[in-house]
Amino acid sequence: MKKMLTALRRTPYQSLAVFSSLFLSLFLSLLLIFFINFLYGLLGYVESRPQVTIYFQNETTETSIMTVKNDLEKTGMVESVKYISKNDAFNIYKDLNKGNPLLLEMVSPDVLPASLEIFAKKPEYLRQIADRLDKVTGKDEVNYQKNVVDKLLSLTSIVRMMALGFFVFLMATTSIILMTITHFKVTLRKDEIELLRLMGASSGYVRKPFMQQALFLGFISSTVVYTLFATILYFLFPSVQSYLQGIEQLSVDLKVYQLIVWPITPLYAGALYIVLTLFGMGIAAFATYFAMRKYLSIQRG
Amino acid sequence: MIQFENVTKSYPLGTIALDDVSFAIEPNEFTFLVGTSGAGKTTILNLILGDLYPSSGTVIVNDIDISSKKSKKIEELRRRIGVVFQDFKILQDKDVFENIALGLHIQELPIKKIKEEVREVLSLVGLEGREYYFPVQLSAGELQRVAIARAMCGDRQIILADEPTGNLDPKTTWDIMKIFKKVEDHKTIIIATHNTDIVNSMKKRVLVLKKGRLAKDMKKGGYEL
Repeated sequence: MKKMLTALRRTPYQSLAVFSSLFLSLFLSLLLIFFINFLYGLLGYVESRPQVTIYFQNETTETSIMTVKNDLEKTGMVESVKYISKNDAFNIYKDLNKGNPLLLEMVSPDVLPASLEIFAKKPEYLRQIADRLDKVTGKDEVNYQKNVVDKLLSLTSIVRMMALGFFVFLMATTSIILMTITHFKVTLRKDEIELLRLMGASSGYVRKPFMQQALFLGFISSTVVYTLFATILYFLFPSVQSYLQGIEQLSVDLKVYQLIVWPITPLYAGALYIVLTLFGMGIAAFATYFAMRKYLSIQRG
Repeated sequence: MIQFENVTKSYPLGTIALDDVSFAIEPNEFTFLVGTSGAGKTTILNLILGDLYPSSGTVIVNDIDISSKKSKKIEELRRRIGVVFQDFKILQDKDVFENIALGLHIQELPIKKIKEEVREVLSLVGLEGREYYFPVQLSAGELQRVAIARAMCGDRQIILADEPTGNLDPKTTWDIMKIFKKVEDHKTIIIATHNTDIVNSMKKRVLVLKKGRLAKDMKKGGYEL
């Protein structure tokens, strides 16, 4: 450790250049990962909402609504239909506005419409279900969410593609910068490396201090990036939370596990830190390994 | 044991550095390589060190064929050879202790053992108390002693020295040769030199090279060209 710190101190500008380059790449990567996960969480949330909702006029009776429900269930196109009575709607409203007594006072169950929340078996049935509901007597409004989901889905794919492209570019640039700096550092110690090789040092022995420095800088950069990111998030939390009012949590389906991405749980925070650190250390080690390869083969005439 | 059998070494532009050279050096033998510049002395040292491949013939050092493509074998061999370079190859940003300890670190010895060995070898070359000096603070003779100390410590069985006294005054030259004499009983020493006095006075085995060929092999010889 002491040796490594001395070596870093003896090449301050190269060390700073490696740190800065890693810092920038890791910070942007973390932003991208976080944003994409957030977007996927949002997409999952919207997808989990009722795909078609029909609101009924005040005078529509519960019997008529139940007839519509039964008719829908008989079509074979719906996965489930949930009846939300005026009282249920009022309870949901109360829950959403529990912090605002003024809004609660102004509303009673009578003003809120009863509704049916419908989940289709296949997305292609949505249009037919919506058309069918449009003809129902006593309906007030039909809310059809496919467009929202489609827009979010296409936005997510665009962002994902752009992020992937940007990420690859970022990683390539960082690797090249790190490799160039390592080349420079190795060149400065060329005589020592040559001497060590002549004295029987293995490639691993020669590579070790450079790798240690790379791993150390990767670790430090990712930790600093993470700390900065956590601080920014801490200050932004109230704004984002108020923007997402009514949404309790966002999660990403990882097939084997449902990862909650908002609000940030200790598990997600820990996972982000581990991924970031491994990534920072990995890219630094990868660039160093490749930069040194040329210098380590035993060159014999 | 070092064995050269019909070794020829030619370089890409056609220069023949060694031409059908054969000899054997027994363990703990003290040998001088003499010859004019370009006669092939350094080529022989580089072949023993595994820094060059022979173009034909075989070079076997401590039972390792240096034509082996296996880097591990060559690394293993090099850990048993100490080299004193003509230009010293002392690292300027390391002190005397660190320069000498380089080879011991490569052998991954414990720190305690390294300290003991370095102290021992510093006393052998007469540099006690100078372990924390940096190369710029040392004279040419002292630098050469550091190079010899580095070559000798860490169970190195073979010592190769390429013109170890080339830049030194006669008194320092003799001091250096005395260091080699101190260890001659338990190390194989091969010195490439132009120094007539030391070769004639020490009465050791002399291999005379002429234009890449082994011209003479004398058991207790003197300097001849």
